[in-house]
Amino acid sequence: MLEIRNLHARIGDREILRGIDLVVKPGEVHAIMGPNGSGKSTLSYILAGKDDYEVTEGDILFNGESILEMEPNERATAGLFLAFQYPIEIPGVASMTFLRAALNAKRKANGEAEITTPEFMRVVKEASAKLNISPDMLKRPVNVGFSGGEKKRNEVLQMALLEPKVAILDETDSGLDIDALKVVAEGVNALRSPDRAFVVITHYQRLLDHIVPDIVHVLSAGRIVQTGGKELAFDLEKNGYAAYVSDAA
Amino acid sequence: MTDMVSPTPLRTPAEDTLLRRFPAEKAALPGNDTVRSLRDEAFAGFAAAGLPHRRVEAWKYTDLRANVRAIAPAAPAADIARVGALPSAVPGDNARRLVVANGRFVPELSDVAELPAGVTVGSLADALASGDPLVLGALSKVPQAEENVAVQLNAAFMTDGVVILVADGLSLDRPIEIAHIADGETAVSTHVRNVVIAGAGANLTVIETIESVFRAAHQSNIVTDIVVGDEAHVDHIRLQLEPDDALSLTAVTATIGAKARFETFNAVLGAGLARAQVFARFAGREAVGGFRGATLLSGRRHADTTLVLTHDAEACESRELYKAVIDDEAKSVFQGRINVPAHAQKTDARMMTASLLLSEGAEANAKPELEIFADDVQCGHGATCGALDDDLLFYMLARGIPKAEAEKMLILAYLGEAIDEVENEAVRETLIHRVEDWLARRVAG
Repeated sequence: MLEIRNLHARIGDREILRGIDLVVKPGEVHAIMGPNGSGKSTLSYILAGKDDYEVTEGDILFNGESILEMEPNERATAGLFLAFQYPIEIPGVASMTFLRAALNAKRKANGEAEITTPEFMRVVKEASAKLNISPDMLKRPVNVGFSGGEKKRNEVLQMALLEPKVAILDETDSGLDIDALKVVAEGVNALRSPDRAFVVITHYQRLLDHIVPDIVHVLSAGRIVQTGGKELAFDLEKNGYAAYVSDAA
Repeated sequence: MTDMVSPTPLRTPAEDTLLRRFPAEKAALPGNDTVRSLRDEAFAGFAAAGLPHRRVEAWKYTDLRANVRAIAPAAPAADIARVGALPSAVPGDNARRLVVANGRFVPELSDVAELPAGVTVGSLADALASGDPLVLGALSKVPQAEENVAVQLNAAFMTDGVVILVADGLSLDRPIEIAHIADGETAVSTHVRNVVIAGAGANLTVIETIESVFRAAHQSNIVTDIVVGDEAHVDHIRLQLEPDDALSLTAVTATIGAKARFETFNAVLGAGLARAQVFARFAGREAVGGFRGATLLSGRRHADTTLVLTHDAEACESRELYKAVIDDEAKSVFQGRINVPAHAQKTDARMMTASLLLSEGAEANAKPELEIFADDVQCGHGATCGALDDDLLFYMLARGIPKAEAEKMLILAYLGEAIDEVENEAVRETLIHRVEDWLARRVAG
């Protein structure tokens, strides 16, 4: 479903990713853990298509096709979703307008008609209730005045509405207290299905208690230096990243 | 060092035309002796200085001398059928529409039947002919308006316009729309003067539109003098929808009474060269004023918004917010001046201007000026200028929204801060549709 081959990337003169290989199959949940500065967020941005980075070598295949030349919106409508570590506030753009534009963009790309107003209201109401998102929150401009937890829940709401094939969660646990973390994790777990894959990027093992991964990778200095089952996350929590950092250096 | 002899500047063809036209036309222009001397005096102001140019500080960024090559002939009477066929530019505003075509008030196209008691709508030409002291007393009696060359040219050449008088305490539930329409297959020039006098405690909304039947390089000079009585509330909105190669000089003057409220919003959506001026004076204490506008520019268009606001009484509050979106090689100018003399204690004035540049070649000039002599005041100003935020765009793209649509949403949001302050819903919707049209044309290239 998602295949990353020998991916090298840099920003300016600084090489951040130094040969990443990763294969994600439908239904799988992969966790990518690693110390600060290992390239976790860079990887998520490159997957989503942010143009601040230059891919110097390797490829990213999504459903067998390279997406490197695709615009971010084309990747999104093809079924790739990035839940941002720091969701952006968009003053003046109403949340509902934004959600509707995103939904319609996907429908248009799939050759479907625009969503009707009653249908749109219904799906938003359903999905937001599951995430404890009040109608008042959705009356505000996108993420403006939202707490950290509200912003993360809003990311999961967008994911639920857009029904991606692959979702990348970039430090979705950061800034969340334990209750908010549970709500977010439940939202994600509700979307797990045999056709959908997740790549969960996190610094801490805590999130993985709630979103249990099938495979855990350790990213250090731009490379995946270790891959294992979910027990690898516990080792990391106990022993830290020190062993991997020195290995990579 | 010897004294430099400043050379007598050569007259430009445009200046020559104006100097020739005034003596030839003035006898036919409406007005009694008082008006005739007012015209002579105003024209003398222009004749002495000529068209303003970049070495005149107030016109530094908008050089009329260099940019106005020729003066179009005075507009002949309009074709009433053609003008009458033009629908209101603000659909759904439920307004009483008054039509001023080619500089003349056209009662037969205007909704003047069954005016509520206490409302008078008439022609400025009639008021000038009879020398109506109320109307003459309202003509640009605001600091820096009378000595402004564009206003002087208007005073010299004004042919007609509408006069609206609203009695004390009267509240109008329907807005009044003044539709300024230029009718000519080739360029014509018009000088229109409107006077709006709201009595104490009166309440009304005035919507002005500036349009044309044909897309010719018309030249219009439209001044609207507004007197807001004590405790009155006047909402003024103007939509400038001139053809892209038109020359548009507009001015609003406002005298605002005690505890009154005055709001003006100007949308500059047309003209190749536009100078939209506002001259306002708080004449009574505890009045509130809102001065806002939105400018959309593309191609090589040039638009200048110049505001001179004088807090001439204690404890008045003013808010100024002007936003511009500038594409291609277009150029925007904002000059905002707030005068606070020593006696205007407790003044609260906040001026903000922002420019959004959509291309490398776009240009924005902002010149906020505060002149404060009172010591117990709150005055502030800010000016920003920048491009669309890449992080916002990326976030929207990452949700599948195509770039053009994301930009459109962000530009609408950016202008929304100013547009949302317009109380009249029909005007707000018209504005949003006009912005969307402009953005759609931009995308279509």
